[in-house]
Amino acid sequence: MNPQLIQLIMFYAFGAVAVGAALAVITLRNSVHAVLSLVLTFFSVACIWLLAEAEFLAIALIVVYVGAVMVLFLFVVMMLDIKMEQVREGFARYLPVGIIVALVMLAEMIGMIGVRAMGLHVMGEDPAAAAGLSNTAWLGHALYTQFLLPFEIAAIILTVGIVAAVALTLRHRGGVRHQSAAEQVAVDPRTRMRIVKMASETMPTETVPPVAPSQETSP
Amino acid sequence: MPTFNDFLILLPEAYLTVAACVILLMDAFLKGGQRVAIHWLSIIVLLVGAWLVIDGQPATAVSGFSGMFIRDPVAEILKVFSLLTTALMFIYSRGYLRDRNINEGEYYALTLFAVIGIMVLVSAGSLVTVYLGLELLTLSSYALVALNRDSKLSSEAAIKYFVLGALASGMLLYGMSMIYGATHSLDLATILHVQNVEWRNLMLFGVVFAIVGIGFKLGAAPFHMWIPDVYQGAPTAVTIFIGTAQKIAAFGMAYRLLDSGLGAYAHEWRMMLAVLAVLSLAIGNLLAIVQTNLKRLLAYSTISHMGFLLLGLVEANPAGYSAAMFYAISYALTSAAAFGIILAMSRAGFECEEIDDFKGLNQRSPWFAFLMMLVMFSLAGVPPLFGFFGKLLVLQSAIDAGFLWLAVVGAVFAIIGLYYYLRVVKVMYFDAPVEGTDVRAQPDMPLRFVLSLNALALLALGIAWGPLFAWCQRAFGITA
Amino acid sequence: MITLAHFIVLGAVLFCIAVAGVFINRKNVIVLLMAIELMLLAVNINFVAFSRFLGDVQGQVFVFFILTVAAAESAIGLAILTLLFRNRSTINVAEIDSMKG
Repeated sequence: MNPQLIQLIMFYAFGAVAVGAALAVITLRNSVHAVLSLVLTFFSVACIWLLAEAEFLAIALIVVYVGAVMVLFLFVVMMLDIKMEQVREGFARYLPVGIIVALVMLAEMIGMIGVRAMGLHVMGEDPAAAAGLSNTAWLGHALYTQFLLPFEIAAIILTVGIVAAVALTLRHRGGVRHQSAAEQVAVDPRTRMRIVKMASETMPTETVPPVAPSQETSP
Repeated sequence: MPTFNDFLILLPEAYLTVAACVILLMDAFLKGGQRVAIHWLSIIVLLVGAWLVIDGQPATAVSGFSGMFIRDPVAEILKVFSLLTTALMFIYSRGYLRDRNINEGEYYALTLFAVIGIMVLVSAGSLVTVYLGLELLTLSSYALVALNRDSKLSSEAAIKYFVLGALASGMLLYGMSMIYGATHSLDLATILHVQNVEWRNLMLFGVVFAIVGIGFKLGAAPFHMWIPDVYQGAPTAVTIFIGTAQKIAAFGMAYRLLDSGLGAYAHEWRMMLAVLAVLSLAIGNLLAIVQTNLKRLLAYSTISHMGFLLLGLVEANPAGYSAAMFYAISYALTSAAAFGIILAMSRAGFECEEIDDFKGLNQRSPWFAFLMMLVMFSLAGVPPLFGFFGKLLVLQSAIDAGFLWLAVVGAVFAIIGLYYYLRVVKVMYFDAPVEGTDVRAQPDMPLRFVLSLNALALLALGIAWGPLFAWCQRAFGITA
Repeated sequence: MITLAHFIVLGAVLFCIAVAGVFINRKNVIVLLMAIELMLLAVNINFVAFSRFLGDVQGQVFVFFILTVAAAESAIGLAILTLLFRNRSTINVAEIDSMKG
């Protein structure tokens, strides 16, 4: 078979899965299923990017999105006890409006932006290959020269993400006993145990000399 | 390849980044009473930043990092005033944060990161830097709004702000992708000079989506839904940031995207902006009349002020831009004083934000009642205050550009707006104080002193507005 | 043969699904956040396609930044969401109406 035809069939297959899974994301009743559908959407789109020979971004999409962001979503969905009946209220009421808005928007966009002219643009040779580089090297060269400033700003944005997430959710509750490894290691036996010298008793009854209770590591 | 000169252009931003990280670390290590150092250091950092911006300003526009970053007089003015208003906000906020147990270290660090975002945004020379600067600013702002962690209102406001903000960013990005497809470039200067765009309709769609994003960030109607809730729900120490420095940034973003990038499509976008301007003026002024909460009133007043700012942008010429920039600065300084007074009157467990709380303020704190009157008159545009000349210059430039009808609409709504500002003044001077309440200004000397200076500056700049306006005009290449 | 139109139409379809998702799930913040992720995915498809067909690297670099920012954005969004849930025990946006006017 013609390789280009195979590519086209693959595109339609992955595209159909992506669109179907995207529809599932916004309609499914169960939030966990919705998150998993979103994972499927991302995965199919990553495959489509592979068809466009954007290998680095395809892998990044799977690693960053499926690996990290979606897991975070799943974590939050499972942690919060969401009452589905409540949040589904009004779903049926807004459904027709939503469908109409989406369809009108889609028709306008596809009708207006000149899809027919774009249909004449056939995928040519991979620009990275034309430059004699792999896709990753091609991106990397641009990233660390032309795009150095945005790269640094992205680093600041990630810092803000960490600071914000910690500032909003980390709570130091009082009275919680937790382990302090540093203090445990730094324990000095002399401060922990007291040897009490006692005169021997003449009549040993059942009395046992009291031992100082071992102290807990302070929190 | 970036050279040493590129980094030299970036000096104020690089300095602020380092300073923000130092403050973050200080917050982790300082304890108890030592933390007051963070407060003063943050203010000094901002003032030194403003000095670095002015001192290193090249005579003409220079760009670095392959045109990603532009340092020109427009960016200089916007940066200086966003740094200064943020410093004012830090001075006003200290007592408020302490009384409410809001973590100060993160407040200062996140605000500084947001300011870096503003500085990148107003200096952006490429769609990438516009997007990243904007996101740095808004991501920090989402977190700041939610920073009062035990307040229901604060987290509600934050989630509304976040969902609508992320949606607007998505729209803006979709527009950017279309602009990129049509012009084959992300560089604003290149986009401006592309002849014979391959798919003109694609480009126009891109412009529409970009306007949606800008309208949202400005808070112009019909993209204003988030403004009232965020203004009311956010801690006042954060609302002041959204009402001052962010407005300056939004003007900078609109100028960079629309003029530096999409200037060739001015004919299309100015009509859309005119619609946004009229809607903002109408919705802002009419809904402000029925408000009883002062923060909400100021929120609707912001919407109407953004309408005036858009009147300046609609002209799409240097005269209009300089008037709009002057307006953005006058609004930012005035609203800094307005929120400063709310902060000064609030104390632990009491938010002085209902208009009724200001009843009879003249009998309890005559000086603050006088300052509040100055602020309200400036917002309303009563001569000879700062706000009046902002409005006058914008309307003047609209008439000069042949938008007489827009100027008339603006003037009519300015008069309608007078009503609700005067109501606050009336309540302060002619109503009796509510029994059983004791609304007084905090005995915080730096706050009282700087707030008085801020409010009196509205009067001083109203009388001597010439030099500032001349500075704005020079930035856009107008030599008077 | 795959053409540019294929990619752009796919992007437009996903974008419209995302907008519809925002409309019909007004009350469920989690699904709203997912719809926004879908919207960004549509944007990314556009950028990758234009970049590939125009033979220009900038579009793909932009996608790299969008992915970075979106990761930070969802971390902050989910943090705010857990905060809201702790304060209100609901994520129903319609119930979030302490402020009116």
